[in-house]
Amino acid sequence: MPDIVRFFEDRVERSTESLQSALAHVALPSTVDDADLYFEHTVREHYSVEDGMVKKAGQDVSQGVGARIVSGERTGFAFTEEFSPRQIAQALESARRIAQGPGTGRSLAISRPGRPERDLYPVTDLAFDRPVPEKIGILETIDRLCRQESSKVVQVMASLAFEDKTIQIVRSDGQVVVDRIPLTRLNVSVIAQDGANRQTGSFGWGGRTAFSGIISPDRLAHACREAVRQALVNLSAHACPSGTMDVVLGPGWPGILLHEAIGHGLEGDFNRKGTSAFSGRIGQRVASPLCTIVDDGTLPGRRGSLNVDDEGTPTQRTVLIENGILRGYLQDRQNARLMGTRSTGNGRRESYAHPVMPRMTNTVMLPGESDPAEVLASLDRGIYAVNFGGGQVDITSGKFVFSMSEAYYVEKGKILHPIKGATLIGNGPDVLTKVRMVGTDMSLDTGVGTCGKDGQSVPVGVGLPTIRVDGLTVGGTT
Amino acid sequence: MNVVPSQNLPSTSIADGEEAIRFILETAREAGATSADALYVSGTEEAVGVRKGEIEKVQAAQSRGIGIRVFAGTRQSSVATHDLSPDHLRTLVARAVAMAQHTADDPYAGLPDRILPPAMDPSKLFPEETHLPSRDELLERALATEKAALSFDARITNSEGAECSRAHSHIVFGNSLGFLHGYRKSSYALSCSVIATSEDQMERDYWYVTGPLWEKTADTEAVGRKAASRTVSRLGARRIKTGTYPVIFDPETARSLIGHFAGAVSGSALYRNATYLKGREGTPVMNAGMTLREDPFISGAPGSRPFDGEGLPTRKKTLVDKGVLQTFLFDTYSARKLGRQSTANAVRSLGDGPGVGISNLIVDPGTSTLEELMKKAGKGLLVTELIGFGVSTVTGDYSRGAFGYWFEDGAILHPVSEITLAGTLDEIYKNIVDRGSDLEIRSSISSPSLLVEGLRIAGE
Repeated sequence: MPDIVRFFEDRVERSTESLQSALAHVALPSTVDDADLYFEHTVREHYSVEDGMVKKAGQDVSQGVGARIVSGERTGFAFTEEFSPRQIAQALESARRIAQGPGTGRSLAISRPGRPERDLYPVTDLAFDRPVPEKIGILETIDRLCRQESSKVVQVMASLAFEDKTIQIVRSDGQVVVDRIPLTRLNVSVIAQDGANRQTGSFGWGGRTAFSGIISPDRLAHACREAVRQALVNLSAHACPSGTMDVVLGPGWPGILLHEAIGHGLEGDFNRKGTSAFSGRIGQRVASPLCTIVDDGTLPGRRGSLNVDDEGTPTQRTVLIENGILRGYLQDRQNARLMGTRSTGNGRRESYAHPVMPRMTNTVMLPGESDPAEVLASLDRGIYAVNFGGGQVDITSGKFVFSMSEAYYVEKGKILHPIKGATLIGNGPDVLTKVRMVGTDMSLDTGVGTCGKDGQSVPVGVGLPTIRVDGLTVGGTT
Repeated sequence: MNVVPSQNLPSTSIADGEEAIRFILETAREAGATSADALYVSGTEEAVGVRKGEIEKVQAAQSRGIGIRVFAGTRQSSVATHDLSPDHLRTLVARAVAMAQHTADDPYAGLPDRILPPAMDPSKLFPEETHLPSRDELLERALATEKAALSFDARITNSEGAECSRAHSHIVFGNSLGFLHGYRKSSYALSCSVIATSEDQMERDYWYVTGPLWEKTADTEAVGRKAASRTVSRLGARRIKTGTYPVIFDPETARSLIGHFAGAVSGSALYRNATYLKGREGTPVMNAGMTLREDPFISGAPGSRPFDGEGLPTRKKTLVDKGVLQTFLFDTYSARKLGRQSTANAVRSLGDGPGVGISNLIVDPGTSTLEELMKKAGKGLLVTELIGFGVSTVTGDYSRGAFGYWFEDGAILHPVSEITLAGTLDEIYKNIVDRGSDLEIRSSISSPSLLVEGLRIAGE
């Protein structure tokens, strides 16, 4: 395993001129509040099976250096894919032009990097070091297990992907931080057919954990059973009703509600600019007293967790809503500075080729006091939604959607039958005021979430107990 | 000649796309690959963003990468990288050849049977550029656009800013059969997004223009005013009663609706049993008024290309003729698997082997103005924005969040929000009873306004 403290030094030092002397030529004006270089080297490996064959295997290498200059509300950004001192200094020079005023003689200094104080994802057992046939064998097993589950399965599409990312952040305050960030993702997707009725089911696992932790035989079997079960449930699904209804959300991934309904609206950039439906509402009631919601980047091994964010700030557990009262926003360094507060360790970027923005990590509602069975039993007429696809929000109007992929129609507290997937729509600033019950069974999702904002994708997590929300609009067909 | 900024790459990398591909194909052969192909993409981008009359961001990007696919007989693997140093490329190609030994022996995998010249002179595909704007010129247009938006109406109270950008790319593709060609593309964009407030309601909307030439972004006033008028018109939005109504999709949302069809008509989805259109060739899949054409040769359109992602010459085709499905779309693999011919619809990205996709897809326009469509519909909803992911091309089920305007007797009465539209793609396409005359090519999928009868809307 390479020494990550020297990882980029070794790459940049292929050249004769030192990075330090190249950067010394880029003098930063006094109007610059913050400047950084973000070095990244990422290797991704991916395998997929379809039609009973593992016909795709591949590896991508992505590397570059992003240069950023922040001056008040202004950001200058450029990147290069060459680890050469001249190219890196040139990118910084290009970004520097955003800031006004003459250079002061201050420049970015390269010191010996430090590793983050804690390690939420020790890199012990890298998937890359395993033989290719072993990884292909996993997908062949998945294909077999899914087809064994039911003769109605007509297609199995599964994929396995690993990422090994090494970053180094060089900041104008003299800090240099390195980190090595693994990511594993398994996805199983099946199509089941009964006559002309064709339905899908899927299940995924993921996280920043060792290969053997994610890909255990038990987990594979569980993933296959779940994907097939969901497809079979959908084969017997009735049309989904339409209109305003009470909804019980199951634990785990349905927490995408939090991500869309409130999470994005609490990101610092929107609130600094006053463009969010939550702008200026700190201290106000935005949810029922049953709701306490945190964004926690420190959960070991989780998909949304990071030792440090992409500005080198250690991640933390940030209370967003406490007993229904809005407590805080998610901040990166620029927006925190402009709002007179501190970064919450939520400055993230997709890669060296993308600028930093405030983003979520793992967004979680803490458990309540109701027995989950009682939450469901309390529903007179409505929908019990246990699994979802994606969601989206308009942060200004607050309107958000998320789409059910497994749901049931409920009357008098009893599940009557499965219903087809449909979109739910609500209003972020008031949906959580309509939370009537919160279960004790908080669980985190299985590590499948990817969040998109301004064209940038980053891995995230969510967590939710069973909750009852009254008056969501259900986008069915009958 | 197109005006394209120099790449200015250091000598440690292979700077030229064709040279890089030749090197890779030769390296693959030496490493034991029986055949191979490679895609090279390089590009430069510059974007300037302003907010509230001040410059907010500048972004500059220079990027190049290569995607490689190697075959060991009929086993394959793919690799991609942004590091074009010969040593790294040798290591990566060797890795690809080693991986390919382990993937499934798939009799349908492989390069196309033979190579053919591109369908047209690649230099004719995009119009000649006479002016490459400086960063200051981008800034000037962004500022003028936002200014027009902010001064449009007193209810415009805040801004997400305006952005002006340019992007140039160079695409080169080659394979071990001897195909090696490239083409260049350009794209300019100008966009603006503002916020309007009234009482306790806040709404945001945007507008943009895009095209292959700098001239396309010249009318800053029009973009700013349209962004502002769209935003202001959203104030006072309310829900409507749950029910079944006629719905007009405006050109932007119609494009999204037709986009699902482009996914469902893919040969890859067909062999995977993953499309509701399976078995429907030669039968009605849309209303008899609907004709969909694919045209890869529209000068400067975003999807235009002289050859597909496997180097096959592209061609025009009619996908749906008066409602009847004429053909699925195939790349070489899906065609072989189903005993068909490739329709030159392979699309290729750096990180993945070929898949199936469209170049430019166009819905034939009708003759009605928007007002005439509204009159014809009577009472209903004009949809201008769709959100969420509730569409499956496997089942054809459709359910999305929507924003729009309630109309009666040809006139808009009020904006509508927090509602959903639901149905099945099959019913929706068959119920497109009229089309507008407002077709404009701004994207790889272009449609006029579409009037759909009887769509389920969930609201109050």
